[in-house]
Parts: sequence; structure tokens; C-alpha cells
Amino acid sequence: MITFKEKVMKNKIFRLALILLLAGWAPLAQAAGKLRVVATVPDLVDITRRIGADLAEVQGLARGPEDIHQVVMKPSFVTRLNKADAVVYLGLSVEHSFLPGLLEVARNPKARRNADTFGCLGPGCIDCSEGVNVMEKPETLSRAEGELHPQGNPHYNLDPQEGPRMARLIAAGLARLDPEHAADYERNLKAYLSELEPRIAEWKRLAAALHGFKAVSFHKDVAYLGRFTGIDFVDTVELKPGIAPTPTHLEQLVKKMKGQGVKLIVREQQYDAKVCEWLAEKTGAGIAVIGTMANALPDSETFEKFSERNLKALLEAAGKRGP
Amino acid sequence: MRQTLSTWLLLLPMAAAAQTEPASGVPSLLKRLEDRVAKLEGAPAKTSLSAFNPALGLLLDLAYTHGDGQRDSRSRFRFRTAELNIEAPIDPFLKGWAVVNANPDEVEVEEAALETTSLPYNLTVRGGRLFAAFGRMGHFHDDEIPVVDRPRSLDTFIGGEARADGVELSYLFPTDLYLNATAGLYNKVGGENGRADNAVSRPLDHFTYLGRLSTYLDLGDDHSVELGASVAWTPKRFVMDTSVPGDADGDGFPGDGENTSAGIETKKNTWRTLGGVDLTYRWHPTKGGKYQGMVWGTEVFQNDERRFAPATKLPTDRVKAYAGYSYVWLKVGPRWRPGVMVDLSEDLDEARKLTRTFSGFVTYDFSEFHRLRLVYSHQMNNVPGNQHANIVSLQWTGILGHHVHGFRDR
Ligand SMILES: [Zn+2]
Repeated sequence: MITFKEKVMKNKIFRLALILLLAGWAPLAQAAGKLRVVATVPDLVDITRRIGADLAEVQGLARGPEDIHQVVMKPSFVTRLNKADAVVYLGLSVEHSFLPGLLEVARNPKARRNADTFGCLGPGCIDCSEGVNVMEKPETLSRAEGELHPQGNPHYNLDPQEGPRMARLIAAGLARLDPEHAADYERNLKAYLSELEPRIAEWKRLAAALHGFKAVSFHKDVAYLGRFTGIDFVDTVELKPGIAPTPTHLEQLVKKMKGQGVKLIVREQQYDAKVCEWLAEKTGAGIAVIGTMANALPDSETFEKFSERNLKALLEAAGKRGP
Repeated sequence: MRQTLSTWLLLLPMAAAAQTEPASGVPSLLKRLEDRVAKLEGAPAKTSLSAFNPALGLLLDLAYTHGDGQRDSRSRFRFRTAELNIEAPIDPFLKGWAVVNANPDEVEVEEAALETTSLPYNLTVRGGRLFAAFGRMGHFHDDEIPVVDRPRSLDTFIGGEARADGVELSYLFPTDLYLNATAGLYNKVGGENGRADNAVSRPLDHFTYLGRLSTYLDLGDDHSVELGASVAWTPKRFVMDTSVPGDADGDGFPGDGENTSAGIETKKNTWRTLGGVDLTYRWHPTKGGKYQGMVWGTEVFQNDERRFAPATKLPTDRVKAYAGYSYVWLKVGPRWRPGVMVDLSEDLDEARKLTRTFSGFVTYDFSEFHRLRLVYSHQMNNVPGNQHANIVSLQWTGILGHHVHGFRDR
């Protein structure tokens, strides 16, 4: 015999279960009508949000402070990619540690793994490396040279001047996937560029103070930063790309820095601080801590803030006045 | 050379255009040319990574092992494996891969499988010889487990790697919560599982059926938990008693014109279930994750089956036995990864017999593709007059060519 109270209880429990079940599906319904976009790094999340505005729901994968070469594949990334209409990524195999593996299991016909390029294959893919002036293309592909990026240096997001190109590609990509709102994306792009481009001109002017300045970086990822600032990067703290420094290499590096008068060490924030401090002590060089993705350092969550913060760090460490 | 040529090809039409333009157009023309040449120079290297050829990788695994038992102590060098990995997309709907393992005794196919890449409704079908989706470490290749030799619980309960010939269907739930379900049908599960032979045919109720459900929770940005439950069920099994002449026609007169090599066959009550739950906790700090981190992995298995005397193959009792391992693996600095592991394994025939293995291990990564690993294990069991053993292994591993850590090998 079930009492009335019990009935109510059962009903309540049943309803609660139903609500919980539906909650799992709710985000699906919520996003309906909006373009669901997954961007691999915070820089691209920011730019895509600016261009997609309220027409796109943008989710990121890497959060910023990670080493982009070693981003951990989380199953929660799989569910995001599974439902994505578009995948915005840097390309040139910089996301090789996580994007191909995730796309492989995400079962999204719009964005599948491209076995040939470590990138994305399908109508939903927006590759932001299209048209980039690629630097440091390797002459040989041998692992004796360390962990090379086979298509050339992919860290172009360190050059603020690549921002407008990335933004245009994203706008074109969104318009292709959602032609109904092409005019909106174009308008948002214009608004974004009218804000970004004057800043880039200003940074370029400030960077002139760094021209010809000799520096070493931890990883070989600063070619584009060198191109923008005119800093002459003569060596890396790492022995070879992806290979931690050995004592012999560090000794030689100290000699080289002293010999060439290198007064700046650029440490990408994800790399070991101690080695750089030791090196600074030995050589009297200043240390600039930079991010290789937006949000790598505090208060750098947008592409604009990220570019500005990096430049500021370089100017300060080089003893010049920042923006 | 080719670049010079293409530059000239580019120059020609533009030079023609320049003739029609007034003189003031020349500097802008030069600018345009410069831009176009720069674009050519800056185009990504056209080194297609595989160009229709499959991606190839070869893993070399060498070890030196010293065993210190009750009675003697011995060492040896072990050429453990040269493991060839071949992988490529086949067409827009399918990919395929093979893993061929060459060790001093034999060359064997570890995996040779096809997998769909574009089925609708979040479904994926895999078939061939593959590592069944049972548990977690069972479907890791030897080089991906944290120690040199596979934990005893996996060796005795699964039968080494969860290698299986068969098909699997998996489904990813379209929810925000990661939820994955897998169903499988195989000849048997376990590379060293001697209960059935891949080379003989069998009725449907002698196959092994698998079900697995796994989920994942982010605990903030830096912590996560993965949970899984698996069941491998084999409804029936043939076991021949080879000590007695056979009575295949069942007329009560064994050996009357029958194949006398066949003995008494036991069919009743031969079902087996192997169940497992697995839990993986990870600490992967978003900031500083290059130099620190932690994985805590645990699996527990239950084996429920009717056992047979090893010599006579005569049926004995149904035994429910448990086994499992748990390990903690740290990342300290860019190169060092130390850890500890405990393995507790009951005897499949006699659950009261328990073997305990305590291991300490450390991995030194020279690079992503080159590492050294040192493992010390102390093993003991609770049999009267019990045996203790100490085992030390030093392993040296290198990978040539292509190597991907897939999502499944995390
Ligand atoms: Zn890099």
C-alpha cells in the first residue's frame, strides 16, 4: 500500500531524475540557432568571439598557460568537438599534441582528423595559417635536429601583424558556414580591425627601440616576434627544439652570449625559470617573460592584450620604456 | 630553380600590364611583385607528411633484468621487441592500422584492424585483431604502461594485453558529459588467454561478449577523474578431459570407433565473467604542467569461472577471484617521472592464495622518443613457506619515425 506521501515523494524523485537527464541535453537546445565554434587557443577564441559576436557560441580547448606542444587531451574536449559546426585552429601542426587525437575520436563529420597535416579535414575547418608568410621551414626532417615542426615555424600568433589576417580568415570561414549572416560577420570584422590595426601601428612604432637588439629565447618559437620587433634571436636555451638544455650547451651558450653581447633572455612562461635566472646571473642579461598564447600570463586573455603585454615585457627587460 | 622560374612566370603578365600603365605605376608594380614573391617564399613547406603512404613507426625496446629469488639470482639482457606500427586512412569512410611485434621467439600480429571514420549517430565500428576496450591498461601497448613488465593482475586475469579477434561498436553520447559505451564480440579476450583457440570455429555461445561504459569529470581546470566499468562474458566453453578416452557419440562406450584422442567434454556450468572497474585521477596543472603532474590509476578485476585441473582437465569448482593494481606516477621536472605501484592478485584456482607485488619505478625522458626506465619489484605470496622475489629491470626505449599517442592510450 503506497501512501499519498510516498506517491508525492516518488513523483518528486522521478521529476528530479528527469530534470537531471534533460540538463545533460539542455546546452544542445540552448545553442540551437547559434553557430557552435571550437577554437584551439585563447587568441582564436577571442578573435572568433569578436567576429561571431552573438551569432556564435565559442568554446576553447587550450587555456593559455600550457605548453602548446603538450596540451593534454581531455574527454571533455571530445564532447565539445563532437558538436562543433566549426573548428578554428592555428595549423602548421602546432596543435599536433592534441587536435589530431581529439578529432580522431570526436566523430564529427564536419571536422575530422587530417592524417597528412596534423590538422582538420572537413567543411567546418578554419585553418588560420592560410596565407601566412611561413618562417624557418626545415631543410631536413631528421629527429637528430630535435622536435621540428615539419611545415615550418607555426608560432605566427606572436606577430601582432598576423592578427588582421587571422581575423579575415575567421570572418570568411564563419560567413561560409553561415551565409545568412555573412554581412554581420563582415561588419564585426571591420569593427574589430578598426580597433586592432591602429594599435598594431602604435606597437610597431614602440618596437623600433628593440631593433637589432640581440637575444636568446628558451624555445625556437620566436621567429615571428623577431620579425615584428627586429630583435635578433641568436640562439636558444634548449639544446634543440623540444630537447631540454644540457650543462655543456649552457656553458657554450654563456660564452656565446658574452661574446656577442646578448643582453636579453626571452623566456616563454611555460619554460623553466631557474635555468634562465642562472643564465641571467652569468651574463648580466635581462629576462623578459612572454606568453606564446593569449591568457598564458595574467591579464592577457585577448589577442590585443596578449600582444601588448609581450611587447611591454620585451621593452622593460631591454631597458626601454613600454606602452 | 623552380622558384626562379615561377617568379619569371609571374613577372611576365605583370610586366605586360605595366606597359599599359603610366610611369607612376612602376613603384606600385614593384611593391606588388615583391609581395607576391614574398608570398611564394613564405608558403608552408610542401613536405606532405605521408603523401598516401602509411605512417610508419618502429619501437625498439631493450631491457636488462636481474631476478633475485629464494634459491638463486640471475640476470639477462632482453631484446623485448621491435614493434612496427603502420597506419593510414583508407578512404573517406575507413582507416586501418597494423602493429607487428617481432621478439626473439616469434613475429606476431598484435593488431590488424579497420575502423570506420564517418558513421552517423556518433557510432564507430572497429574490426579485426585489436585491443579490446576492456578496462584501461589492458589496451595499452607495452611501451605505454608505467612499468617494464605488465602487472601480474593483468597477466593472470586478462591474459596479458586485451588482444582480441572480433568486432566492436562504440557510441559517444551526444551530451555535455563525456559518456562512451562500447559493445564487443570476439573469439576471446587476452593475448595469452589459453581458454580458447583463435584458429578453431565455435558456436555463438562460445564467443566472448563485452560491454563497457566510461565517463569523465573535470574537477576544475587542473584535476580530472575518469571512471569505467567493463564486463567480458563468455557463455560456454569446451574443455576436453584428455586423460580418459573420448565418448564423442555419447553412447556410453568411450573409444568405440570414435576419435580416441578426444576425451570427456565438459560443457555444463562453464560460463565465465571477467568484470572490471577502473578509475584514473589526473592532476595536470594548466600552469607549470610541463614540469609537474600526477596520474593515479587503479583497476580491480573479478574473475568468476569454473576451473579445471591443469593436468587432467577435469572440472573442479567455480572460483570467484579478485585482483587489481594501483599506481601513482609523478612528473617532477622536465625529464624525471617516478612512481610506485602495488599489485594484489589472487590465484584463479584458489582465491586464498594471494600474490603481492610492490614496485618502485622511475622514467627518465631524454626526449619524447627516447627514454630510460628503472623498475624495482618485490614479490611475495602467502603460501606456507612462501617465496619472495626481487626483480630489477632497466629498460631502454627508442622510437623511429612516426609515433602518435592516441586518445585511447592516455
Ligand atoms: Zn614550437
